[in-house]
Amino acid sequence: MQAFPYRSAGELVRFENVGLRYGVGAETLTDVSFSIEPQSFQFLTGASGTGKTTLLRLIMQALKPTRGTVVLFGQDTSLLEKDGLTALRRRMGIVFQDFRLLDHLTTYENVALPLKVQGRDEVTYRAEVTELLSWVGLGDLIHAKPPVLSGGEKQRASIARALVAQPELLLADEPTGNVDPSLARRLLRLFVEMNRSGTAILIATHDLGLMDQIEGARRLVLADRRLYAEASDV
Amino acid sequence: MSENRFVQPVFYGRLRRLLPLFRRDPLVAADQVTDRALITVVAILTFLAAITAGAAQFAVGTAMHWRVMMASELTVQLKPQGARSIDADIVRVSDILRGTPGITTVKTLSRDESAKLLEPWIGSASSLESLPIPRLITVRIDTDQPPDLVALRKAISDAVPAASLDDHRTWTKKLGRLSDIFLTSAAIALVLVIVATGLTIVFATRGAMAGNREIIEVLHFIGADDRYIAAQFQSHFAVLGVRGGLIGGGAALLLILALKIGSAASLTVDFSGSVSPGLLDWATVLVTFAVIVLVGLVAGVASRITVYRTIGRLS
Ligand SMILES: Nc1ncnc2c1ncn2[C@@H]1O[C@H](COP(=O)(O)OP(=O)(O)O)[C@@H](O)[C@H]1O
Ligand SMILES: [Mg+2]
Repeated sequence: MQAFPYRSAGELVRFENVGLRYGVGAETLTDVSFSIEPQSFQFLTGASGTGKTTLLRLIMQALKPTRGTVVLFGQDTSLLEKDGLTALRRRMGIVFQDFRLLDHLTTYENVALPLKVQGRDEVTYRAEVTELLSWVGLGDLIHAKPPVLSGGEKQRASIARALVAQPELLLADEPTGNVDPSLARRLLRLFVEMNRSGTAILIATHDLGLMDQIEGARRLVLADRRLYAEASDV
Repeated sequence: MSENRFVQPVFYGRLRRLLPLFRRDPLVAADQVTDRALITVVAILTFLAAITAGAAQFAVGTAMHWRVMMASELTVQLKPQGARSIDADIVRVSDILRGTPGITTVKTLSRDESAKLLEPWIGSASSLESLPIPRLITVRIDTDQPPDLVALRKAISDAVPAASLDDHRTWTKKLGRLSDIFLTSAAIALVLVIVATGLTIVFATRGAMAGNREIIEVLHFIGADDRYIAAQFQSHFAVLGVRGGLIGGGAALLLILALKIGSAASLTVDFSGSVSPGLLDWATVLVTFAVIVLVGLVAGVASRITVYRTIGRLS
């Protein structure tokens, strides 16, 4: 395990000896410590059931750690008020494993939602959203609703929704899990481009072939309830 | 609606923002069946509340009308007593009355007229020939400057011990108590209906939020704050409440107006024989309107409180 430097400014995520237990059983994650730097690119990997989704949920504040400290954008999340939480969430984009698109909204409305909920006027983002939708190849499906989209199309819509507000950190849970290898490659290129424009990327995947496509990407490996992190900053 | 998202003129978007009542924000996945049931229940409750309030207003108005009529009249009753000439006593009392300031009219009922009043209890006038009949003098007073009743009562009984002055106080008191009862019952009914409306909205809001739990969670994750999410639900249920209130209250108004028109055709005659003015007056209509507004407010407040409480628990 890596010894991490204390309080280097600008870290997006920092876990210090985090432990998580669901209910009363054994801990699902034990003594997890790592950090994510701005504009970095990393994979979170490990066999199914090792706790990749759990770790992402800790970052997105869907779970509170049983032990240890989670620091997000320099803020100790255990001290966070509700408004502060909303502010932090606006700085990250999330691609859920099961997409979580809203079925009664169109693709356009789904993708525009992060901007809409910030109270922005539609006039100010309409062009932006339309452009992003063509960029992910959904230009012809802006009025379609999720139930009629294919798995790959839903995947792209959920990625577009995660990217639309240009977050500093993108969390993606098995974003290529439902698509064929060629689409997986295209989606991965999308993440790389986002990363080039400044977004730090964390992709959880158990697909080793996918990771091999990006030379030099950092790997965080979950095994036996612990996280083994390569240094990204050293 | 979303199909023409791009062709909607900009001003239409502005207009919709200006009129939150008509804005149908699609973020809440609305359940048509639940919505319609909710509107129906609120409509029924509002109808009952409006009718109750209208009826109470009508009853109280009528009671007050009668009270004023009664308070502006006095009656002197003379009981026949042995050898005394009742006609001479009547003249004596009438003179006292006419000489009292604050009294506008004095009318003596003849023996036949007095007997007629007793007919329903004793029998036809012809069989009363031989019976001593109490006689009545009716007096109208100036309600702005009423006579001194204590002094008047004393003057009358000094002159004619068998005469008694009735200022209808028992009756006006009873009417007062009656209208108090009407008002209290109406207030209780109104409060119950308002509580029932509030609870209906609370349960509907809770149900909808449980049903939309996934959506609420996603909204939180993509950066929506509680205020934004609450607004989606709140406006939805407030609008449903107002719609139900308008339908129920509107139906009640129609019924009241129909009754008003009907009662204008068959004029009501009150106890003194004069025709009373439109008893279902515009105050009744106003009261009904007030009930509709109240239901709308309660719907808004109830859904707002519920939404904030539930969001607090969900996240
Ligand atoms: N909500 C939960 N309650 C209880 N156990 C859970 C819950 N979510 C996940 N787990 C357990 O935690 C472990 C890690 O799950 P998960 O984080 O989903 O793994 P991965 O995403 O790597 O497949 C699994 O054993 C799973 O059964
Ligand atoms: Mg998982």
